[in-house]
Amino acid sequence: MESKSFPGTVDSLDALREYIGELSQQAGLAKKPTYSLKLAVDEIATNIILYGYQEPGIEADFQVLSEIKDDKLVVILEDIAAPFDPLAKELPNAQDLTLSLEERGIGGLGIFLTINGVDEFSYEYADGKNRNKFVMKIAAT
Amino acid sequence: MAFQIESLIQDQVATFTLHGELDSLSARVFQTEIEKIANQPIDSLVLDLEDLNFMSSAGLRVLIYSKQKIGPKLSIYIVRPQELIVDTLTKTGLQHSVTIVDQYPV
Repeated sequence: MESKSFPGTVDSLDALREYIGELSQQAGLAKKPTYSLKLAVDEIATNIILYGYQEPGIEADFQVLSEIKDDKLVVILEDIAAPFDPLAKELPNAQDLTLSLEERGIGGLGIFLTINGVDEFSYEYADGKNRNKFVMKIAAT
Repeated sequence: MAFQIESLIQDQVATFTLHGELDSLSARVFQTEIEKIANQPIDSLVLDLEDLNFMSSAGLRVLIYSKQKIGPKLSIYIVRPQELIVDTLTKTGLQHSVTIVDQYPV
């Protein structure tokens, strides 16, 4: 697996999306799945940075592991913050998504977009690390 | 790409032109601009997104914040958004709360 480190601050998000763009290009992903993957990784990385690192005052990097295997692009975000399973959070349901802006709560949309945008999303906590895994299928050309 | 925002307030219409990428860092800048107009008699918020290439949920939250802060009578117009941003608005159901247009005034 390829690995790259980013400082755990919101200033890293721009470079992170650019890197995800490069990986997607290497994998031959089309424009729309590339955007969806960038969005998904950005959303999870934002949660890691703001709530995993900044809120408790942890200064640390997070890692992006990646590989292209069996017609799939696999990207894993790894961080050393406290265990946090994004899938354990309640997502907005169909009814929430019909609410007007005045009635909306502001949480949950990022994780909803993450799960909605990638082919597979999974989470595990192992060896003191959160591992958020994103899988995109590479369409045959 | 670096985020940039330009604002113009005229005749109760606040127009913001956004360039680059709107993530949780740049959303703070966008929110600050909205806060500046929150106490003014604005009835329409016009967001020109033609040059905006990326918008995360942090950007969506500023849209929600705008309506909640400025008031329920505020009309939000989104001018020439890119297809993938329209996708995000559609998936999250926010396209029902904004008007997507090719130009403003409509």
